Amino acid sequence: MLRTSARIFFSLLLAVALTGAAPAADPAQLLRQAVAAYSTYSYTGQVQSTDFGTSRAEAVLFRIDHRAPDMTRRWYLAPESLFGDSIVSHGDTSYDIDQHNHRIIFTKDDALDDQVAVDDNFGLLMHNYRPEMGPDENVAGRSVLTVLLVNKYTGQATMRISLDAQTKLVLEKLRYSPSGAVAEQMRFEQISYERTFPAALFSVPSAGYQVLQGSFHGLPSNDLRAVVRTAGFQARGPQYLPEGFLPIAGDVSDIKGVRTLHLLYSDGLRSVSLFQNARGAAVDASHYSVRSAKVGSHDAKLLQEGSTTLVAWAAANLHFELVGELSREELLHIAASVAP
Amino acid sequence: MHLTNEELIDYMHGELAPQQDAAVYEHMESCQACRAEYDAELAMTEMLRTHAREDERELPAAVKAEIWQRIRNARPSLWNRAASWVRPAVAVPVAAVIALAAYFGTSYMGPQGVPAIEAGYYLQDHAALNGTVPFNDRSVTPTDLMNAAPVDNQQAAVAVPPVEYTADVTH
Repeated sequence: MLRTSARIFFSLLLAVALTGAAPAADPAQLLRQAVAAYSTYSYTGQVQSTDFGTSRAEAVLFRIDHRAPDMTRRWYLAPESLFGDSIVSHGDTSYDIDQHNHRIIFTKDDALDDQVAVDDNFGLLMHNYRPEMGPDENVAGRSVLTVLLVNKYTGQATMRISLDAQTKLVLEKLRYSPSGAVAEQMRFEQISYERTFPAALFSVPSAGYQVLQGSFHGLPSNDLRAVVRTAGFQARGPQYLPEGFLPIAGDVSDIKGVRTLHLLYSDGLRSVSLFQNARGAAVDASHYSVRSAKVGSHDAKLLQEGSTTLVAWAAANLHFELVGELSREELLHIAASVAP
Repeated sequence: MHLTNEELIDYMHGELAPQQDAAVYEHMESCQACRAEYDAELAMTEMLRTHAREDERELPAAVKAEIWQRIRNARPSLWNRAASWVRPAVAVPVAAVIALAAYFGTSYMGPQGVPAIEAGYYLQDHAALNGTVPFNDRSVTPTDLMNAAPVDNQQAAVAVPPVEYTADVTH
């Protein structure tokens, strides 16, 4: 009897081995591993990143050296205006090394240290999106497992993520617009995993460069009541948000004396920011191509940078700016619900 | 009871404790004198920043001469002498700001003379707060490298720590 069972078991095992069948991968587990892979593996490679607007695209090509957990250098190869420039990141601090103008702009973003928020937002992502396995492919000469993130409310695929089958590092990422067109693409052209890097690779030059302070972003708060009270004025929030969106973080900054409230809403994958101030500070869009729009009955300005859209308008004695990667129609719908 | 200069400067740099920060903000909402003093300090800080970045954006000699002329002309007027509580330090930066405003035009000023906030600030702040949203890293767009100058408002932005309140919020 035992011998018969053993024979059946080994026959099945042989059949599985011969047909190449493997246990089905759990896409949710793969995504969790993908989030952790960045701080686990060191690598060097070349990446192309393209941001598609409604009628044109912006692309950058860069070489990347990453030493786990959090030291990275990006060397820009294209476009030509960026050739020779690089960005060195040490955890939450980045140094933009501008060779052309002999200056270094250093920035700090405390949100990058907020592991609790990352975990919370991953939970929100899993609540609103259904991960589905896609076809196995090859990216940069590596076998990848593909996961599609399908919005549970609209049924639309919002993102396609290709993970290195061995390390689970994200090697390709496609974000889709609501129409189904590709809005963003990040893709490794080549990659090799390294164990060691020379320390000088992540050093920042000290001589011959003018050092400028760029943006300093403090740790955002998820206590939105406290954030809104800190703003010190009667703040407004949207009455309409796409299904699955929740307020997840906020902060208050004084910008040239103008106290500005920033609230971030997200469904775990897409996000939209609402800024507001009560001092009458309008947006300076002189560096952008601006179009006119209407938010309800109010005149509005609309500008785009890659796939990100900004809508600015004034209503109810407040100045508002809404920023996000949603469709223009969706953003105007949200904006109209803020101060109807 | 007015705010001290030290309190105003610490407030401007976000160095006050949260409760004190909220108290200073509330006071300035109702006290024109302290608001004016704060605006003057801000103008002075901006002028110093502009000076520090002179390598990047050299002002034409005519504009510099105009600023210095206005500073020399900024003698205490009859009104200034009468209003002795206004510190002389106010006149200098105000004159400089007027000259700079004349040079850069009114497009940077809001309807009530409030400085407009650069659109790039909102785009960068949106991207920064997105840092905790999974698979949403947009840091490959090197905005500061692509622009001729870093987004100006970033350097003036001071994060205000949230204050714990016990009262309910309705909005």
